[in-house]
Amino acid sequence: MDPRFIRNFSIVAHIDHGKSTLSDQLLLQTGTITQREFKDQLLDDLDVERERGITVKARAVTIKYVHHGQPYELNFVDTPGHVDFHYEVSRSLAACEGALLLVDAFQGVQAQTVANAYAALEANLAIIPCLNKIDLPIVRTDEVLEEMRTVLGFNPEEVLRTSGRSGIGIDDVLEAIVERVPAPTGLAADPLRALIFDSKYDNYRGVVIYVRVKDGVVRKGSKIRLMKKGTHHEVLEVGQFRPMNTPCDELGPGQVGYIVAGIKNLSLVHIGDTVTEASRPATEPLPGYKPPQQMVFCGMFPIEATDFEKLREELGRLALNDASFSFIPETSDALGFGFRCGFLGMLHMEIIQQRLEKEADIDLIQTAPNVTYELLKKDQTVVTVDNPQEVSWDGTTEEFREPIVKVTFIVPADCIGPIMQLCSDRRGTYKSTEYLGPARAQLIYELPLAEVIYDMHDKLKSITRGYGTMDYELIGFRAADLVKLDILVKQNKVDALASIVHRSLAERRGRALCKRLKEEISKHMFEVPIQAAIGARVIARETISAMRKNVTAKCYGGDITRKRKLLQKQKEGKKRLKQFGEVEIPQKAFLAVLDIGDE
Amino acid sequence: MRSRPGGRAVSIPYVPWEPVDPLGVPRAAYVHVPFCVHRCGYCDFTVVAGRDDLISAYLDALACELSRLESPQPVETLFLGGGTPTHLPERSLERLLELVREWFPLSSGGEFSVEANPVGLSPAKLGLLADAGVNRVSLGVQSFDTQSLATLERDHSPELARQTVEAVRDRFPECSVDLIFGVPGQSLVTWQTTLETAIALGPTHLSAYGLTFEKGTAFWGRRLKGTLASIPDELERSQYELAMELLSACGFGQYELSNYARAGHESRHNATYWANGPYFAAGPGAARYVKGTRETNHRSTTTWIKSTLAGRTALSSQEKLSLEDRARETLMLGLRRTAGVFFEAFQKQTGFALEEIAKPLLARDWLRDCLAIDEERIALTREGRCVADSVVAALWE
Repeated sequence: MDPRFIRNFSIVAHIDHGKSTLSDQLLLQTGTITQREFKDQLLDDLDVERERGITVKARAVTIKYVHHGQPYELNFVDTPGHVDFHYEVSRSLAACEGALLLVDAFQGVQAQTVANAYAALEANLAIIPCLNKIDLPIVRTDEVLEEMRTVLGFNPEEVLRTSGRSGIGIDDVLEAIVERVPAPTGLAADPLRALIFDSKYDNYRGVVIYVRVKDGVVRKGSKIRLMKKGTHHEVLEVGQFRPMNTPCDELGPGQVGYIVAGIKNLSLVHIGDTVTEASRPATEPLPGYKPPQQMVFCGMFPIEATDFEKLREELGRLALNDASFSFIPETSDALGFGFRCGFLGMLHMEIIQQRLEKEADIDLIQTAPNVTYELLKKDQTVVTVDNPQEVSWDGTTEEFREPIVKVTFIVPADCIGPIMQLCSDRRGTYKSTEYLGPARAQLIYELPLAEVIYDMHDKLKSITRGYGTMDYELIGFRAADLVKLDILVKQNKVDALASIVHRSLAERRGRALCKRLKEEISKHMFEVPIQAAIGARVIARETISAMRKNVTAKCYGGDITRKRKLLQKQKEGKKRLKQFGEVEIPQKAFLAVLDIGDE
Repeated sequence: MRSRPGGRAVSIPYVPWEPVDPLGVPRAAYVHVPFCVHRCGYCDFTVVAGRDDLISAYLDALACELSRLESPQPVETLFLGGGTPTHLPERSLERLLELVREWFPLSSGGEFSVEANPVGLSPAKLGLLADAGVNRVSLGVQSFDTQSLATLERDHSPELARQTVEAVRDRFPECSVDLIFGVPGQSLVTWQTTLETAIALGPTHLSAYGLTFEKGTAFWGRRLKGTLASIPDELERSQYELAMELLSACGFGQYELSNYARAGHESRHNATYWANGPYFAAGPGAARYVKGTRETNHRSTTTWIKSTLAGRTALSSQEKLSLEDRARETLMLGLRRTAGVFFEAFQKQTGFALEEIAKPLLARDWLRDCLAIDEERIALTREGRCVADSVVAALWE
């Protein structure tokens, strides 16, 4: 395939700005898929994604398109839309020369529009801006075009009008891709260099490597070398995504497709690595990617200790296809054996947790998520800690550092005050304000990640009546006056309920947490005191009074079975409870720390 | 009676317990009559309201189910429960009574109970019951307070309830009144008034149940939605304690968690359940315990009718218990009796040592105040009665 007739592009957009619908239209109108094959949001093939209407993993598809009589091959590399998966966006972009940037004609420029546009610019992509959902009953065309000019620097003339729903402007989009996106460069004669932008484990064929060829050619029978580990493999099949995996003879410069090389172990295949020829290796690998940064950690413990091995298998299975998820064994005095799991963000965490519950039948206790901390030791070494348990207060620590993120908010102008208040309550540092137009503004703050991940997004949505958006990126670690807040239930310290909080907020959090736990833990036959403490100092206390009345009235006309089952159910209802000494704590309580509010 | 260290001494009546043979031929029978004028919001029994068109098919199906007994089974106690058995029109009621007497002839001196509601309980129907040999009527009064009756969605007035209790009391040797406490909005004082009114009417037996919110009922849904709230634990406990105190002071001994009677007027039919003895049963949703197997008929009246008339069994559950589970049930039920569970009788009946089966209870420090133990038996203390479900649930932990 002559690279002059290849175009590689992505679509980036803020979540819900119509990316999936427009993608589907591109495939339908070019005949890449037929109406019959068409499934809603074809590219999102994971259940959880479909349920939530968001794309999590990058996917690709090859489109055949004829422009002025000349056949073209357009490779569309899909990207995830959520801030948690920013890392995957950059992966997709590196495989392309151009990007469509969709902006909802009513909602206008949003936080992830900005973040994604910058990511595309940084990757040196040609950007085709589109005003999408143009057929909505209410649109704000002029204002949104103005926002696109102010914030992103696009001339209104270069912005396409599109609608995935009704198919408006799809021809313009295809034309623009051919005319505005540069053709890939690279010579077929050079040694092979192909960027691995994703991979997938197939039970029958082993690892399927998703590649974008930069230089050279790969074909069936080629001997390849994965540059990072230097392993050699023989190519059993190469193919394209049309949209199902379809074998082809070879993949040349500029082409996007997959390689099957009988690799049984996904850990050999590094996303961002370069595939080259075994006999004639390239001297330099492609730039690759920054490794994904896990921002959020939590413990996952099986309620039944016997499920530990099963949980390990399930986590391993999930990690196979998700390089950005990690887990290592962890022991808790309170919860026994489990795993400490790392995620890109809260959404990522929820998705993994939902898959575990859906696909594996394991009752889990999940502890409240926390961020990674750095401890600067007296000997000037820096230790990274992603578990509150590992924080020691033995005097060897000189400085306690927490991760800081730069947060970009785009909010209605009349909400600036309340958002600034929120940020200052959350220990934020104000950076700048920029008006996108008379009614909307972009606010930039630096905030501790810990203050952002739990509920910042919900707070933002409620303050702005749904109109505000946010995006964040990690900018580093900073020293802070942090303390470990312990929770004692009936005088027993429950390690899994401990959290790291800023000293100035400790008392308020402690009180709120005790109160929430009081709501979550049901009455026992005895009094249950709940205390919050920093070190040996108790800073808050609540008491759950003892159960006073519990008699199920009737014996159901002799239906003893029913009566017994009701009583047993009291027991079964406790499936998600964990026994601590004599106190039973429900699973939900371990997440209580998340929604203790801002009283 | 000696209570365990730290336990509270309470008076526990001494009623010896004869071991029963669960594998023996049942001497008790229960027949379920599902018809009601309407379904009350808290009720989760097998009930159909506004389906009187099914009555005749029900009676046919009942005849069919009873005929599977092959020969009449003489019983010492016979219980017609519901629903509202007396909701049946006179001719159907007559047929029902004939049917059950044919298949379950009552031994001389036997107890024949029928549940009834005040509304529609005409002198004619009472006459039919009396003529058929019914000697115990259990009335679903629930409350003598207008407000509580409205909350419970009962269709009778306090006045009608009073008149009905008097009519039944004058005509039958045994008259029992069912009352409910823990009703949303019910204060300790209104409950006391209800109890006193009931006592003054002179029944021989009283049942006082705490209202429970059962899954699937209207009350359950309303509580979820927040439009109906259970009363505070502490108040419900006070109401229960008041019932225990007031009734025993007035000569109604508490012989079971929810049941009180003048001496010698305890319900003999229910005693079979609590002793974990065998019993026959017929009708939709009815539960039987024959030859060590527990069976429950299908809870849908229409399904039960259809299957039964088609010659099929209409069971929703069947289980044969292991000997140990049977022993555990014997303890679970036995503890409902105020007199408690006797070591010797328990061992004879179940083949297990009581202290073995009761181990999970005895091992728990927090149950110390709930159990009273002496050389002969284990019983619930007053504290234990208040939280009986939590105590017994520990058996399965």
